[in-house]
Amino acid sequence: MTQTTRTATVERDFQSHESVIQVQELYKRYGKFTAVKGIDFAVRPGEIFGLIGPDGAGKTSTFQILSGVMEATSGEVQVLNRSPRDARLATGYLTQQFSLYSDLSIDENIRYSAGLRRVPTARLQQRRSKYLKLMGLEQFGDRLAGKLSGGMKQKLALCCALVSQPEILFLDEPTTGVDPVSRREFWDVLATLASQGVTIVVATPYLDEAERCNRIALMYEGEIQQTGTLAELRESLNLERLELRANRLEAVEEVLKTNAEIADVQTFGDRLDILVPSASAGETQIRTLLQQHQLTLNDIQPAEVTLENVFVTRLRQQGNDPPFIPFPRSKSTGVKQDKQVAIGVRNLNKVFGDFQAVKDVTLEVRYGEIYGLLGANGAGKTTTIKMLCGLQPPSGGEMSLAGQTRDLRNSALRKRIGYMSQKFTLYDDLTVVQNLQFYCGVYGVPRRARQEKIDWVLETCGLVGQENLLTGRLPGGWKQRVAFGASVMHEPEILFLDEPTSGVDPLARRQFWRLIEDFARQGTAVLVTTHYLEEAEHCQDLGFMVAGEVVASGSPSQIKEEQPGQLLELVTNQTQAASDLLKTQMEPWRVSIFGDRLHLVVDNPDTEIPQLRSTLDSDGFEIHSLRPIPFSLEDAFIGIVQRTQE
Amino acid sequence: MTKRIWNQCLKEWAQFRRDRLTVALAFLLPLAVLLIFGYAIRLETNNIPLAVQDFDRSPLSRAYIERIFATNKFQPTAWAGNDPLENAIDPGVAKAAVIIPPDFSRQVQADQPSPVQVLVDGSDVNNARVIENSIRATTQFFLSSSGLQPGSPRVATQTRLWFNPGLKEALYIVPGTYAVTLWIFPSMLSSLAMVREKERNTIVQVYASDLSAAEFLLGKGLAYLAIAIGQALVVMGVGTILFGVWFAGDPTPLLVGTPIFLANSILFGLFVGSRAGNISGAIQGVAILGFLTALLLSGFIYPLSNIPFPLSVLTYIIPTRYYIEITRDAFVRGAGWAGVWLFLLALIVLGFLLFNATRRVLSHMQLPD
Repeated sequence: MTQTTRTATVERDFQSHESVIQVQELYKRYGKFTAVKGIDFAVRPGEIFGLIGPDGAGKTSTFQILSGVMEATSGEVQVLNRSPRDARLATGYLTQQFSLYSDLSIDENIRYSAGLRRVPTARLQQRRSKYLKLMGLEQFGDRLAGKLSGGMKQKLALCCALVSQPEILFLDEPTTGVDPVSRREFWDVLATLASQGVTIVVATPYLDEAERCNRIALMYEGEIQQTGTLAELRESLNLERLELRANRLEAVEEVLKTNAEIADVQTFGDRLDILVPSASAGETQIRTLLQQHQLTLNDIQPAEVTLENVFVTRLRQQGNDPPFIPFPRSKSTGVKQDKQVAIGVRNLNKVFGDFQAVKDVTLEVRYGEIYGLLGANGAGKTTTIKMLCGLQPPSGGEMSLAGQTRDLRNSALRKRIGYMSQKFTLYDDLTVVQNLQFYCGVYGVPRRARQEKIDWVLETCGLVGQENLLTGRLPGGWKQRVAFGASVMHEPEILFLDEPTSGVDPLARRQFWRLIEDFARQGTAVLVTTHYLEEAEHCQDLGFMVAGEVVASGSPSQIKEEQPGQLLELVTNQTQAASDLLKTQMEPWRVSIFGDRLHLVVDNPDTEIPQLRSTLDSDGFEIHSLRPIPFSLEDAFIGIVQRTQE
Repeated sequence: MTKRIWNQCLKEWAQFRRDRLTVALAFLLPLAVLLIFGYAIRLETNNIPLAVQDFDRSPLSRAYIERIFATNKFQPTAWAGNDPLENAIDPGVAKAAVIIPPDFSRQVQADQPSPVQVLVDGSDVNNARVIENSIRATTQFFLSSSGLQPGSPRVATQTRLWFNPGLKEALYIVPGTYAVTLWIFPSMLSSLAMVREKERNTIVQVYASDLSAAEFLLGKGLAYLAIAIGQALVVMGVGTILFGVWFAGDPTPLLVGTPIFLANSILFGLFVGSRAGNISGAIQGVAILGFLTALLLSGFIYPLSNIPFPLSVLTYIIPTRYYIEITRDAFVRGAGWAGVWLFLLALIVLGFLLFNATRRVLSHMQLPD
């Protein structure tokens, strides 16, 4: 079958709503614990179907059942009208850790996968070069998989899955911890594959990636909350979003929260995100409200509802909103008005053997400030934090911590610092309350204050009454909250948080950020790492790390404003074909597919927009819409990285 | 099917080869064990202090005493008069004592059991057994060489002395060491190869294809069998050079038996690896289950006849037990096929059982609940 006829059949199938995957009343139990609680969904041929949810939502269990590597407890699952086990050779499965042999080379990994999946040797050679070329890996055939970057590993894993030309791909969080550039390239490859008729089921914790799926299922605690296209999900919310900028955001937030007409208010760095039933009515209402309270408003404008808004609202309807309880402070020195430098770093270096993990990092965090250190896994974020905490000696550079420049490991200084590491520092075989008592002791929290602090952690984590549960039995997201609690009980002046929110659901992430912001308002200097770029909006200052270096820094608005050129959103009748065409006209990174639309980065919008229109028109594309949209932080970073590479 | 087994096999081989440290350890560790066992284990000590009280004082009793010390295993300890000999053993002056009764020569010549009393310091169990055996063997040798019938029906020669009259220990220890070494190290490598797939989650890729458990096991097993044969060649080659151990008879039973035994070892490793959840579990499994049984229940150190019931039943499922018989036959006894075919058969049966047990563990080729 040639490519064109295949695509044509797929499109016909797509319209007839025939499904290649049918799941009905699927349950999966592990002993007493039910991971998947009776989910139903169907996937149509050639679509990208997103399974979106936090850690512990049951996504991985669902993937393991669909790919035939695990038995379902009950329920009906059909893949290509067969049982998942019988369909195994027609499907490809990327696990979270990619299932690659790190001690084998790229070629050896591919050859082994091909052998497992009965690919004839002649075909193997042809497909190997085809897919390695598609992923840009063809010159690295001899390199060991263990020596590849996260983004390359993920592409190799996809090659291994593609070598048997599966009809369906199951991708379990393929982009977690991968740098934004590789993530975007990966999604472009997925869009290409989907246009060739491959059906893709993908899980991701990044809600911006979810927007690139044809249809999305929101999953939480083993249940699918809602399924639909991005537009359907947005519409179902029946709310509109306003972005508000004001000088006294905190006060504005307090005022707006008391109003019943306003569905949701959230601080996002220098702006507030507000959900209201109607944008225009909401705007007037907010203006009058603020006038009554004599608060000035710099700017208010409508914006599109995000998937995060949808997810958060759904979770809230389920009553899963974790409470915000102000931290019981016992130190009165709280707010430091003078804004001294709490963390100062100049030309920090770290070399492991012949590998430079951190290269000339310079940053400054003042009391009351949140500094975000961003970057992919392996970019050097954790190493930087470890050096700042005195856990690892630097190879070179100057550091100051709370005014001290020498002996950063002394115990008096350490009591003023809080550190939450990426790998949980809690003891799995102690109960929650024993862990908290232990950390109270370690950090010398006065005995009188201990009970109050422990109660605060338990209430904030929603663990009241379960304090004698073994910590090891808590799901990942909960452990993280307890670990956060444990690291702040002694009211540190400086707080280091290493990926506090990875794998946590959007509501809990909001709670995290409210707590972090609350600490900052009380004068704590916070240095936080994350690989969610949308979270970076909460930070006053950012540093973006690539391969050990800070390649961009500044406040979120500053970074976005400094971007040269303009981001355009293009909606046409044939997204994939338009993307293929435009990639030949401009540098490929400037074009990316987001679901049913394209994002284009242009340097001179005035001359390039008419040019684009004429190119598309002459090739017979219908342009439904072509409009400028604001850069997201991610767009900004991809632009920065690509321009430095040029 | 063969193509997919071969694919699996090539992958294992590539992985093994890639890690230089593993390759080095795969050949150096067995040699270290060979040297430790070959040089350090001494089951029979020489110059054991022995005291004698001769109440007979006849030519026959003196000849008997001479005979005992002539083995140069024992060294005479001076002991005066009628002082009870327990007093020599208790403080450790003598490890053993022999008391010859007053009517020794008369009873022996009358063809009656001669109650020679032997006291042995039992605190060192191994030595005690060695001493007991040598005195018994010497006594028998003495009686037969004096042209007398062995006095007691209980006097039995020990096989070891029978086949190893020069008391050359290497002959006894080294073939046993071959068996123990070739049991532990191939199984260690294969168990790690198995458990690593689970620990790094690469097994999911295998589960997601339709590779069967048998194909998976055979592929892995064949690669490691090749490596294990290499280990066997190195260990036996070095053993031959250092300890001068050479074939006593027909080498073919050993040549056939070794690959079968190595297959047992690898299958045992794969079995442990398929049951263990992580690397430390697999290592402990191989070390405790494999090493201890191969060392203690195989007849390597303790004679199988000394292992009490019900532990003795367990020895029948220890492959090392059978392979030790084969190596000792090849290097010491030299009886050939007639003496060992049964052991080979036992190894084949055990290998088959291990393969099926492992296949059953993996039968679903799925993640466990």
